[in-house]
Amino acid sequence: MINKNILSKMLLAVVATFTLVSCETESNYEEEVPSIANIAVSNAGFSVLEAAAVQGGVAVVLSNNNPNDASGDYTVFAPTNDAFARLGLNEETLGVLQTPFLTNTLLYHVSNGNLLGNAIYGGGSSTSVLGLDRRFIERGNDTFINGSKILATNINASNGTVHVIDKVMIATGVDIVQSAIALQSSQVFTSPELSFLVEAVIYADLAGALTASAGSPSFTVFAPTDQAFKDLGTALGLTFTVPADIRQLPKDLVATVLLNHVIGNNGKFTSELNAGTVTPLGGEDLTLGAFTNGTLTVTGAGNAQAANMVIPDVQTTNGIVHVIDRVLLPNLN
Amino acid sequence: MKIKMNFITSLCLFFPAILLAQSPVSGFMKNKGEGAAVVSYSYEKYDKVFLVPAEIDGVPVFNEVSVSSISLYGEFGITDNFDVVVNVPYIKAKGSASEQVLANNGFENERKGIQDFQIFGKYRFKSFGFEKSKLDLIGALGLQTPLGDYKANEGIQSIVAIGNQSTSFTAMGIAMFKTNAGVFTSGQLGYSIRGNDVPNALLSELKIGYAASKFYVDAFIANQLSDKKGTDILQEGFTGFFPETRVNSTRIGLNAYVPIYSGIGLTGGVNSYIAGRNLGKATGFYGGLAYSF
Repeated sequence: MINKNILSKMLLAVVATFTLVSCETESNYEEEVPSIANIAVSNAGFSVLEAAAVQGGVAVVLSNNNPNDASGDYTVFAPTNDAFARLGLNEETLGVLQTPFLTNTLLYHVSNGNLLGNAIYGGGSSTSVLGLDRRFIERGNDTFINGSKILATNINASNGTVHVIDKVMIATGVDIVQSAIALQSSQVFTSPELSFLVEAVIYADLAGALTASAGSPSFTVFAPTDQAFKDLGTALGLTFTVPADIRQLPKDLVATVLLNHVIGNNGKFTSELNAGTVTPLGGEDLTLGAFTNGTLTVTGAGNAQAANMVIPDVQTTNGIVHVIDRVLLPNLN
Repeated sequence: MKIKMNFITSLCLFFPAILLAQSPVSGFMKNKGEGAAVVSYSYEKYDKVFLVPAEIDGVPVFNEVSVSSISLYGEFGITDNFDVVVNVPYIKAKGSASEQVLANNGFENERKGIQDFQIFGKYRFKSFGFEKSKLDLIGALGLQTPLGDYKANEGIQSIVAIGNQSTSFTAMGIAMFKTNAGVFTSGQLGYSIRGNDVPNALLSELKIGYAASKFYVDAFIANQLSDKKGTDILQEGFTGFFPETRVNSTRIGLNAYVPIYSGIGLTGGVNSYIAGRNLGKATGFYGGLAYSF
């Protein structure tokens, strides 16, 4: 009897001990380093990036080691929720973007290997996994990648490094004309944008000048939205409903106005622009406002009000495009 | 009196089981020809997830997930020392993503259907009688296999999957110690071999309770430890196929039963995951109607 009692207690003790020892506790794995995808998912400030990564199909990619780099690492410049909000994007509205464009945009933020903060300096550059370069720019005490300010560096992940930026970076991988056509043909947003601009460029025979070719120059281009052209029509006492309505204006006038939006300065990001004047190909100076919160206003000689950048810092193969909400007018008198 | 007590307590233990960390087999045995049938409803909800290395607030994409189920459970004594246990749940998993987010991703908030059929045979191979108590040693073997054609491989959508579409075999040892006064404690330890790339798992449960003619109550702690070959969600090795993730859990809970009339009784309980890995931090409850014969 005593033996059996001891046996029973021993048995239960063994099971009890095992059960308690096998309890899952944080200490089992809290030492593990999160992946880049895990960092995005764990941090409320990256919830839009998380949603974009799911929608764009890169969440699994950024969970794993990089098969295309000996280090197994990626470097990611991670836009905050505020960065997405600048473009009107959040978890709900991400659907306005075409998925292939979203995926490419995310991959433009990613490079192979570990690029640590101390290797990031003004004048340098880094090639994204898309194959397109990003430029580093110093401005005052801040460092920018393209037009995006680097807010924090060197967040360590199991599969690389995360730096935090304040703007989403956009690169089209094609030239200015093709970039505008991509927007016009709904390859970027699910609905067309810049369709009046594309029409105007074709009508004014400027497509050739803005198309990249060997040795061709690079530009900074201010690209008015469709609404900006519609507003211009209204201001002129006309009705612009469809892009072809732009042809109600004389071709020479359209060409003059368009050339007022193009600056032959090799293409500048907002981080490289300063308050003051710049001279467009049209010849009449544009006035840039103060560099505030990563953007500048721009005003044509014939404008009563300044234009705002709604999508700044779009990198193309022959320049930088800033999408603006007003057509920049020269003095038409 | 003792037989009566066993009879009643054997009705009531294990219903919410299937998705859950609680074992479907208990330390109580049926007498030959006796059995029980239970229909139960369970509900659990989570908005936090145990990931590695840390718990996250908000379920990715779906924000909050609730899982409700209706289970049919039966137990029958083939002999005094051999019981058969079966369980079939119908499960509905529901996320809380907005319509817009669902449209953006081509996802749906709900997945539902009949999940897995589970059958266990348990055999009491040794019984020690003491002056005022008794120790039973029980071995159990079980099979769990998908009954429904629910999907388990829908990528991120499978955050709201109802199961792993996996067939598994489980072997388990149970030690059950009960006193004539009604207090009992049981421990079980088992190993489950699982298909569809679901990591095999070590299962254990410790239970302490009181079983008398008028009511039954127990408290348990149950663990699942998956093999290390499983992947962690959103960590190295993760492919988006959730069944192959390494799910560990520690769950605590309470179960209770009261007889009402002529073999019919009510059962219910609450339970909560207090720790885990690659698992929703769910808290839930269940209630059911039991009939014993």
